[in-house]
Amino acid sequence: MNGARWLVQALEAEGVDTLFGYPGGTIMPFYDALHGAALKHVLVRHEQGAAFAANGYARASGRVGVCVATSGPGASNLVTGIADAMLDSVPMVVITGQVPTTLMGTDAFQELDVFGMTLPMVKHSFIARRVEDLPMIVGEAFRLARSGRPGPVLIDLPKDVQLADASMLPPHVSSGIDDPEPPKDASLHEALALISQAQRPVIYGGGGIALGSAVQDFRTFVDATQIPTVLTLKGLGALPTRHPLNLGMLGMHGSRAANLAVQECDVLIVVGARFDDRATGKLAGFAPGARIVHMDLDACEIGKLRAADAGVRGDIRTTLTKLTLPCAAHLHGRNGAARRAWRSQCQQRAQQHAARYDAPGDTVYAPALLKRLSELAPDAVVACDVGQHQMWVAQHWRLDDPRKHLTSGGLGAMGFGIPAAMGVQMANIDAGQPDARVVCVSGDGSILMNIQELATLRRYGLPVKIVLLDNQALGMVRQWQELFFDKRYSEIDLSDNPDFVAIAQAFGIEALHIERADQVDGALQALLDAKGPALLHVAIDTAANVWPLVPPNRSNSEMLDDGVAAAAPAIAAPTPLPEATSVQEA
Amino acid sequence: MRRYRLDLTLRHAEGALARVLGTAERRGFRPLAVEGETRPDGDRWHLQMTVEGDRPADNLHEQLAKLYDCLDVQVQPCS
Repeated sequence: MNGARWLVQALEAEGVDTLFGYPGGTIMPFYDALHGAALKHVLVRHEQGAAFAANGYARASGRVGVCVATSGPGASNLVTGIADAMLDSVPMVVITGQVPTTLMGTDAFQELDVFGMTLPMVKHSFIARRVEDLPMIVGEAFRLARSGRPGPVLIDLPKDVQLADASMLPPHVSSGIDDPEPPKDASLHEALALISQAQRPVIYGGGGIALGSAVQDFRTFVDATQIPTVLTLKGLGALPTRHPLNLGMLGMHGSRAANLAVQECDVLIVVGARFDDRATGKLAGFAPGARIVHMDLDACEIGKLRAADAGVRGDIRTTLTKLTLPCAAHLHGRNGAARRAWRSQCQQRAQQHAARYDAPGDTVYAPALLKRLSELAPDAVVACDVGQHQMWVAQHWRLDDPRKHLTSGGLGAMGFGIPAAMGVQMANIDAGQPDARVVCVSGDGSILMNIQELATLRRYGLPVKIVLLDNQALGMVRQWQELFFDKRYSEIDLSDNPDFVAIAQAFGIEALHIERADQVDGALQALLDAKGPALLHVAIDTAANVWPLVPPNRSNSEMLDDGVAAAAPAIAAPTPLPEATSVQEA
Repeated sequence: MRRYRLDLTLRHAEGALARVLGTAERRGFRPLAVEGETRPDGDRWHLQMTVEGDRPADNLHEQLAKLYDCLDVQVQPCS
């Protein structure tokens, strides 16, 4: 047995069912070892597709996604997908071939220092210079990827190590996952003290809720405390879209109800979120009257951008579980009437500013189409590309599970959609649900960044349904040039787009085209009824913009809606600091 | 700008020094002095750094402590 064969068996021992990759010179021993192995390997058509597919696999399933590439260009093509996993805390193990150890550092053919290149974008990385180090490296790579705040771990594997005798190595045993650190009681007391005194509290939930497997605990906390809730892009689905306390997404393209509630609250309860600039707008003007309760597993996030009045570092599930009953007990306390009035105010505003879908005219109104599709396919996982369509999905898709919404949040990487959807479909197959529905929403800019993966969908018969919203432009850039660069449109024109239906058909994928609103229902049904992968090409208004919008470097209270500025809300003064209250007492 | 002295114990692993220096710089702290050695058994780095920056030192401490190769870190303001 050589190192490569030992590694294949180790991956199986770690519970890996599927990996995504592309072979090449220095990774050939590994591919030789794959021959006849139980592991499923999905041959992508570009290494970036492998990284995004593993990323999508991990996001949807919660399991570690694995991708493989050769050294040099194979490794560098993975980089965007690794960075995306780092910024969105996605558990991945990335295996790259490397030139033999004797050639490392000599500028050998296809030698690239992928270890050095990726230092800032991995949770950790290893170069396996000796075959006897493989058990430690593989065990630590999977443990680190899964444990705590998840992330990508890279293993750079020289060819001679793959070929070295590994017969003396013991069979691999998985290191599993570390138990998350529980929160300290003192920090819970501080949090409870602030929450119990709040008159205008708001919960600001993020991606850490799903990462911490705390969705149910979060919903219990919201229901028990009856506190109005806003969600980040990555938090969407932690509370169902139609939950009466869900005010929607906050931030640059957030709802008016969500942004104004945050701006006016007196206590902001941050659950697994990180004050990302797209969520906060101008940081100095964010939630200006609020005291901050910040719950996060990662100590680095607490106080990074906004000082916490009560920082609770530790497992989100435990934190929410311990705080739910004590916080709910204060529901009818001395601030009960104020809280009820506040809740009612937030909910009324959400109703007043609810999105409308009765756009005039014959053209397809993209938000209405997306809302309709989410209603027709309520169990679907949706994977987005990046741009205006991504924000429309965030605003209008009916969601009831954060793992059903895959979006490149931190990195904002165009080209994410198709390969990520591919990864979800493979995860469904591994879970014994090969027909579970996966939708990819893309744009005419994004789709061409990884269009080659249509071949992968076709080869493996993955029934991903692609909705391509085509406005013949890089729409989000065009919108910003229109609003903030005096309509000087620079390099955004895509009016010479190729015939996307013909492209899909050339890959052997069923495709259809619509351009009128009255075609939407029939086309969506046809798309969903297609047996294999299918693409619906939708011509939309080339001038459509995403609203509301918080302009850059402005506070979230300064939203534009269809180009019109909203009135800034009155900001209430912060409440006095409360007396400490015991978690156990309440 | 405020100056801080960092005392770090690291695994003597490939990339450990680059990770520490890179993390400090990316998180907004400029290294001013670096001194270190492996001792006595060679499996640990003992590193002292002086950095300056405007951001909270607590956050730098947490970022460094989170590195897999960082076994211990102390951050003190320079007098």
